[in-house]
Amino acid sequence: MRGRGGPPMGRGMMRPNFRPGPPFRAFIPHIPFDLVQCESTFPRAKSAPEEKPFTEALLKRNVDLTPSAPEQASVLALVSKIQTILDNLVVTPGAFEAAQIEEVRQVGSFKKGTMMTGHNVADIVVLLKTLPTKEAVAALGSKVQEELKLLEPIEGKVLTMLTNDSGFEMSSAEASVKCLITTIPPNLKKLDPELHLDGKIMQSHLAAIRHSRWFEENAQHSSIKVLIRLLKDLRNRFEGLQPLTPWIIELLSHFAVVNHPSRQPLAINGAFRRSLQLLSAGLFLPGSVGIADPCEQGTVRVHVVMTLEQQDQVCFTAQTLLRVLSHGGFKQILGLEGNASIATEMSVWEGVVVTPSDKAYEKIEKKEDEEEMEEDADESVRRKTCSVKQYQNIQSICHPETQEDADES
Amino acid sequence: MAHFVYPVPANAQPGTAYSAQPAYVAATPAQAAYGTATPRPGQAYESYPAAHATTQYAYTTRTQVAVTPAVSYDQPKAYYQPAPAATAYTAAEAHYQTAKPVFTTGAAGFTAQRPASQPKPPAVQVTTASQSYAYSAASTPAVNTYTSAYNNPTTTQSSISGTNIVPGYDAAVYSAASSYYQQQQAAKAIGTWAAKKPGTQPFKAKPKGPPKTPQLHYCDVCKISCAGPQTYREHLEGQKHKKKEAAMKGAATPVVRGGHNQLRCELCDVTCTGADAYAAHIRGAKHQKVVKLHTKLGKPIPSTDPVLVTTTGNSTVSVPKATSSTISAVGAGNKTVAKSTTSSVNIVKKVVATPKITFVGGTTLRTTGAKTEEVKAAPEPAAAAKPAEPMQTSSDDLKDDEHLNILGEKDVAPVGHEYIEEVRNEQGKTVSFNCKLCECKFNDPNAKEMHLKGRRHRLQYKKKVDPNLQVEVKPSIRARKVQEDKLRRQSQKEDFWRRREQEDRWRDEMRMEEEMYWEQHRRYDMEYMHRGPMGMMGPRGPFGAGPGPMIRKPESSDDRHVNAKHAAIYPTEVELQAVQTIVSACERALKQTSDVLADSDGPKPEEKKEIKKEEATTDAKQTEKVKEEPANTNRVLKGVMRVGVLAKGLLLHGDLNVNLVVLCSEKPTRTLLERMADSLPKQLATVTEDKYEVKRCVEEAAIIVTAEKEPNPSCTITLTSPVMREANTTEGETVSVKDPPDVLDRQKCLAALAALRHAKWFQARATGLPSCVIVIRILRDLCQRVPTWSHLSQWSMELLVEKCVSSGGPNMSPGDALRRIFECISSGIILPGGPGLYDPCEKDPTNALASLTNQMREDLTASAQHALRLVAFRQIHKVLAMDPLPPPRFPRQRFNNPRKRRHTGSGEGTEEGAEKKEKKEGEEATTEAAATTK
Repeated sequence: MRGRGGPPMGRGMMRPNFRPGPPFRAFIPHIPFDLVQCESTFPRAKSAPEEKPFTEALLKRNVDLTPSAPEQASVLALVSKIQTILDNLVVTPGAFEAAQIEEVRQVGSFKKGTMMTGHNVADIVVLLKTLPTKEAVAALGSKVQEELKLLEPIEGKVLTMLTNDSGFEMSSAEASVKCLITTIPPNLKKLDPELHLDGKIMQSHLAAIRHSRWFEENAQHSSIKVLIRLLKDLRNRFEGLQPLTPWIIELLSHFAVVNHPSRQPLAINGAFRRSLQLLSAGLFLPGSVGIADPCEQGTVRVHVVMTLEQQDQVCFTAQTLLRVLSHGGFKQILGLEGNASIATEMSVWEGVVVTPSDKAYEKIEKKEDEEEMEEDADESVRRKTCSVKQYQNIQSICHPETQEDADES
Repeated sequence: MAHFVYPVPANAQPGTAYSAQPAYVAATPAQAAYGTATPRPGQAYESYPAAHATTQYAYTTRTQVAVTPAVSYDQPKAYYQPAPAATAYTAAEAHYQTAKPVFTTGAAGFTAQRPASQPKPPAVQVTTASQSYAYSAASTPAVNTYTSAYNNPTTTQSSISGTNIVPGYDAAVYSAASSYYQQQQAAKAIGTWAAKKPGTQPFKAKPKGPPKTPQLHYCDVCKISCAGPQTYREHLEGQKHKKKEAAMKGAATPVVRGGHNQLRCELCDVTCTGADAYAAHIRGAKHQKVVKLHTKLGKPIPSTDPVLVTTTGNSTVSVPKATSSTISAVGAGNKTVAKSTTSSVNIVKKVVATPKITFVGGTTLRTTGAKTEEVKAAPEPAAAAKPAEPMQTSSDDLKDDEHLNILGEKDVAPVGHEYIEEVRNEQGKTVSFNCKLCECKFNDPNAKEMHLKGRRHRLQYKKKVDPNLQVEVKPSIRARKVQEDKLRRQSQKEDFWRRREQEDRWRDEMRMEEEMYWEQHRRYDMEYMHRGPMGMMGPRGPFGAGPGPMIRKPESSDDRHVNAKHAAIYPTEVELQAVQTIVSACERALKQTSDVLADSDGPKPEEKKEIKKEEATTDAKQTEKVKEEPANTNRVLKGVMRVGVLAKGLLLHGDLNVNLVVLCSEKPTRTLLERMADSLPKQLATVTEDKYEVKRCVEEAAIIVTAEKEPNPSCTITLTSPVMREANTTEGETVSVKDPPDVLDRQKCLAALAALRHAKWFQARATGLPSCVIVIRILRDLCQRVPTWSHLSQWSMELLVEKCVSSGGPNMSPGDALRRIFECISSGIILPGGPGLYDPCEKDPTNALASLTNQMREDLTASAQHALRLVAFRQIHKVLAMDPLPPPRFPRQRFNNPRKRRHTGSGEGTEEGAEKKEKKEGEEATTEAAATTK
């Protein structure tokens, strides 16, 4: 995974002899500017602006986004039933012939407490001991459905079961539970694309388990959860932020709330603004140190799952939003007023014309031409011009929750 | 009121004595001066009544006396001891009269006795009450041992003046003085006292005349007399004597039991643990015997003043009491004739020892004294062993306590008298006492007193009678050790911090040097290095530190672009030359103008003072200049300094207008400006052959000098004065009151002052920061090129860059630094909600960005955001408005090539043809690679 998709991690590091030759270039990531980290260098020269309305708006928005109690209850009911059924299968391996279940775990936004209203989907990862053939998955789905019908004779009839690439999904009227199938790591090598589910998806489900464990241990502060919800909402409304995966948003929220010198969690208004500032300052641009994925071995910068174009897009959208925010447009940003056009069209705030940022990234073709010309001279160019396909592969490896929470929007 | 100015020569010898004393070296000159001077005040008191009984006093008489026994100055201590007395004197009379109960009592005693003593014939011993003192007084004739050296100014005085007229007074004064000093000292740590080895002293004092009565077999070392030659010999061979002798030869300090303060009787070589014990010793038979013996032998008798012995670490401090020698002098009556009478006339003396030190002593006496024959050739000037004529035996118990209280012990009031039972014998005479509280018995009334004050008794009293009684916690030996430890640790700590501070200072200085290095280097760069690509590298750190362990970032594509751009915007040599010429011409001309103006203004010839012509660019020099300023207040034009891009070294290609600031002593006026403008062309003509056009620009508070030679650089000379800023802080009214009618525009002058501060700040903060100057130049170019950026003022841009670069970790490469600036602005630092830029060069919190409108802020931020993404997406050339640089022509493997190929070396064979420069860079990169390899 080393350096994949990012600027060069330095080839030839192990070269034993140091004859004068082609220069070797180690990749030393650039640490982007972060105002919170250098507050001492930038003492306030003027009084801090009034933040109260903004904070209130943020909290209000959070309330709006949090699923209501009935919603939560219905999801919880469904999840616990399915969990019980699956647990029974774990305990009595003989009861189900098609597959053997090693472990059942809840993951995703429901588990993390960051579920959003209108998206009452919970995720459960089912770790199979056996190889996950498509038939076995379908059989498992049917089995669960049957059990559910036995358990709840009336409601159980309303339930639908759909199989898909990643497993199957049980849906009732109010809630649905995605059962994500994966298998124990030794089995991953044995997967046959013809017979089994896709290995990358299997891996992503394994990663999802790690993510929820990390989250449980590190991101239980409610500011983080509130911020995650707000940022997810932002991402849903502003197209430019679509490339941000739930996992990136979670890491970014954690970073924005906790990661500063005093280690005291920032208030929600500060953290929200900081997230936009970090994005604007190019935290997720090429060359930046970004955020290292805590759930991957080695140093994987979490933003490399996005293509360069996407990185640019996320950055300039955030930059525009930040400027709108600083001119007092928080209601539009939070979706309390207006629409998403502020990110793409010119707007006027108290006499100040805010022109949306435009993309800076240039087409790959040209880059590739250059690359040809330059005889692969500059490695970083080469790195950045990796094909989109390559990126997508990486994305699916590193960031399973694109699938897991894919249809959150 | 008589003023005595002591002739310096008299002090000459003491001076040497001082230098011989290591302990005193540390003393401040003032103290030393006191030291030398001190014997005098006392002596003066003594002597003048002796001579004339009037206030008219010729000091010289005394001096002569003092000079004769100059030999004795080899006992330097003699001069030290009085020092406290002197301090006490200077410390204002209040000490004597009010603050000092000691004195008051002493004085009271003195006055009380005086009537009695006055009519008395010489050598009268006064009354029984003071008998015990009388004999200690008998010791006076003896040659001073080191104790006396210390010691009593009184002895000294008596010897010099030949009379000891009002010992009581002196005693009082000195006791007051010294106990005051004592207290002061005690308040401080004892350790601060000058370290002294009392033990060595006696031997220094040796050069005394042979004992008068050799028939006695006296052992000097052991201070005992032997009955006959036989016993004497035996004694000399005895172990005890040898031990003592050895100890003395080894200059060992007297053995002091316990590690704490003790009082020492020098005469008997006895140490006592407390004032009371000491008093008891002095009263005791043993001491008296010794005194008698010494008197008989004509040996010097140290005063009964206890010597404070402290052992802290290895320094032994002896502080003798200066006070009671007078008292001891009482008994000297055998040999002395006291003719003196005292009359109570107030004489306030002011004694001036050195021009700087003034002693003010208040006395209330006039004395007459008669000279007495000198009994002994006193090696000690002070102790010229004159049997002082004691009129005064008045040292009473009360005083005694005070005298002895040199350990800093608190004088406690005895408590619980009522619990002392007197046990009487059949005759009704009190034979013993019984303390009911402590259940102990004693038969000495003195002991009773001591007991009442004693700690044990007080503790019992506290326990059984009055729990509110404060009993001083007497540190046990262990506690004392702990205490000492604490002190030592404290001093170590202080030492540590001092050293730390020094190191810090040192580091600061190093930094300064480094900065200067940078500065020089920059200039060197500017002047010579501009040609090649080497010049583009920007400031380099001082080499020679060897290959540091720090990992240097390899030059990235961004860096290359930034450096290339930097080289492009760097001024050409011709431009630099032109600017250099005009600036130096202006500076020299201004200096001469300043001279001319000063000559015409000030009739007084001033000492020629250089206006600093040298680079006004280094902080050090600027401060130097500032320091010089107060020296010549007459000069109107005080100095000229470079400001702006010139001082900061930010000249760009095409920058031909530079700024100088002339500091005036007063608010610059139109008249002054015109006078300068008139004078300047002439001066310019004298300093250079080039033609310059001088234009005055009153509304700008400036004179603009333009060279007629291509490329027509111009130099704007702004007048200002620090006074302008002060006026700013005070009320506006005062400004209008004081201002001359044609004062120049205040805003312009203030701006010039600010420019001065900015230049200083820049040199202090930005110049030494890697990449900082390069990036500022790049951004300056950007500000000139892009209209959006033109709103960002030069100063706020510099501030911003410095803050970004300094907060970004060490050794930022230029490319990284530039990117960081854009990131910083992108994250909204200048947007309306941001923190703003705190201006370090203003007294009040000032936002350097305050002048920007919200739209400008918005546009700037948007522009920076776009620039940031351009940089990130490898289009930095667009930001810098330059063509993309071709990648360096290093032969490289294609991406797909397996790494193995590199190891074959086949590829490298072809690389040999690479250009020299590239090869060099390659090498560099390789070593860096080695460093970075994990």
